[in-house]
Amino acid sequence: MGNTRKRLIDILSSHKDTYVSGQELSNMLNISRSAVWKHMNELKKDGYQIEGVTKKGYRIINSPNDLSASALQWDLKTDWLGQEIVYKEQVKSTQLVAHELAREDAKHGTVVVAREQTEGRGRMRRYWDSKDGLGLWFSSIIRPMYIEPKRASQLTLVAAVAIADCLSKKGLDIKIKWPNDIFVGGRKLAGILTEMQAEQDFVQYIILGIGMNVNHEIEDLHDSIKEKATSLFLETREKMNLNHLLDQLLEELELKYEMFIEDGFHLFKEKWESYAYKIGEWLQVKTNNTWDAKVIGIHEDGALIVTDRQDQEQVLYSAEIIW
Amino acid sequence: MLKVQEIRELIKLIDESSISDFTYESNGTKVTLKKENGDVVTVAKPSPAQTQIQEVQEQAPNPTVEKQPVVKEEVKQETKEETTNENTDFNYEIVSPMVGTFYAKPTPDDDPYVQVGDSVDTSSVVCIVEAMKLFNEIEAEVKGKIVEILVDDGELVEYGQPLFRVKKQ
Repeated sequence: MGNTRKRLIDILSSHKDTYVSGQELSNMLNISRSAVWKHMNELKKDGYQIEGVTKKGYRIINSPNDLSASALQWDLKTDWLGQEIVYKEQVKSTQLVAHELAREDAKHGTVVVAREQTEGRGRMRRYWDSKDGLGLWFSSIIRPMYIEPKRASQLTLVAAVAIADCLSKKGLDIKIKWPNDIFVGGRKLAGILTEMQAEQDFVQYIILGIGMNVNHEIEDLHDSIKEKATSLFLETREKMNLNHLLDQLLEELELKYEMFIEDGFHLFKEKWESYAYKIGEWLQVKTNNTWDAKVIGIHEDGALIVTDRQDQEQVLYSAEIIW
Repeated sequence: MLKVQEIRELIKLIDESSISDFTYESNGTKVTLKKENGDVVTVAKPSPAQTQIQEVQEQAPNPTVEKQPVVKEEVKQETKEETTNENTDFNYEIVSPMVGTFYAKPTPDDDPYVQVGDSVDTSSVVCIVEAMKLFNEIEAEVKGKIVEILVDDGELVEYGQPLFRVKKQ
């Protein structure tokens, strides 16, 4: 999206209750009044409802429901996350596109959003069902300046807390399954896939991929996951505007990321534990053999703390857990 | 004197056995391996057995034995060129930048990223190390040939642990 269009949307979204005249817009954007008019027509095509009143000017009544680059820009209050949005109708996977862009030096905070993924993937390229317009699938390019690679994995828990905080405001009882799966009522609502390119002591970039089921009805969920997955609609019975939801998520993610960079992970430990899935419950951990473990909480650095049957504390950074 | 690779092999064998205490002595160097609770230890902290290795390495006068894996030192491992090594000819080690699980291939069904004998470039991905669901694609960072792969797919690795031996070009 062009810079002028982005600034036009910013101006209009900060004047929701007042009219802005064509002349004012033309002055602010340094373009002709007929160019303003052309931009307005493009916004209408994207689904914006624009009110034009003679001698008063323009006012946007409604931003679009459908995902689009211009609609995503509406009312986005972040400083850097998503200020560069790459919107695609259909991609194999937003992760792949984000990796390509990152290799081509895309800016910190660039976000790739797709309406549909044909090969959406989770951990170990596990398939992630991401049908047309039902959910949010987006990948953010993060270039942390002062994080060592070994600390970067904490970002996955920080992102989970951001999502949990954002969705809790909608009245949902969110749980986080260590380290970063988002659950509601024992079913998975959202997943995070974080991939990093790093040298020994320097992170080149991190791709933070988030997939969230939003407007799925029960029949939209694949048979294999009907029992295990859920969507925001199924939990709240409300259809959501994907553009607005993404804006809210990006705002929360930016806020939490900055807290993490400035103050470290310790602020997140308690918060994370307040959302912990199956805390105090027994489950099984598979390392060389399979053993019973009780979830205690997380370590200062985000690792999972469990106790075994001998009441010995064990700290896990990476393990197959049978929840 | 035992090579690090041989010690690793020993740990693995002892781990799988019912032996809880093992000592090996030769030319004034002693290696002791102990299992503290006879139980398998998780990636959490260096397992008792691994801690033992590090102690041994510190005492070892033999320069072919790696030092306790500290990043900076690993980078300077070129000194190895001067030392004799009968089995493998290498002058660089790719080490793990973090604690986590080592994955030799992108998915269980895929071929490994690299195999012994493969040529790698600075930006060739050689493996993935995962911790807390952060998947770190490890690049070779040097141009050369893979001469030895030191860990198995799915194995837990420590910070700074050597993963591959490379003969730089």
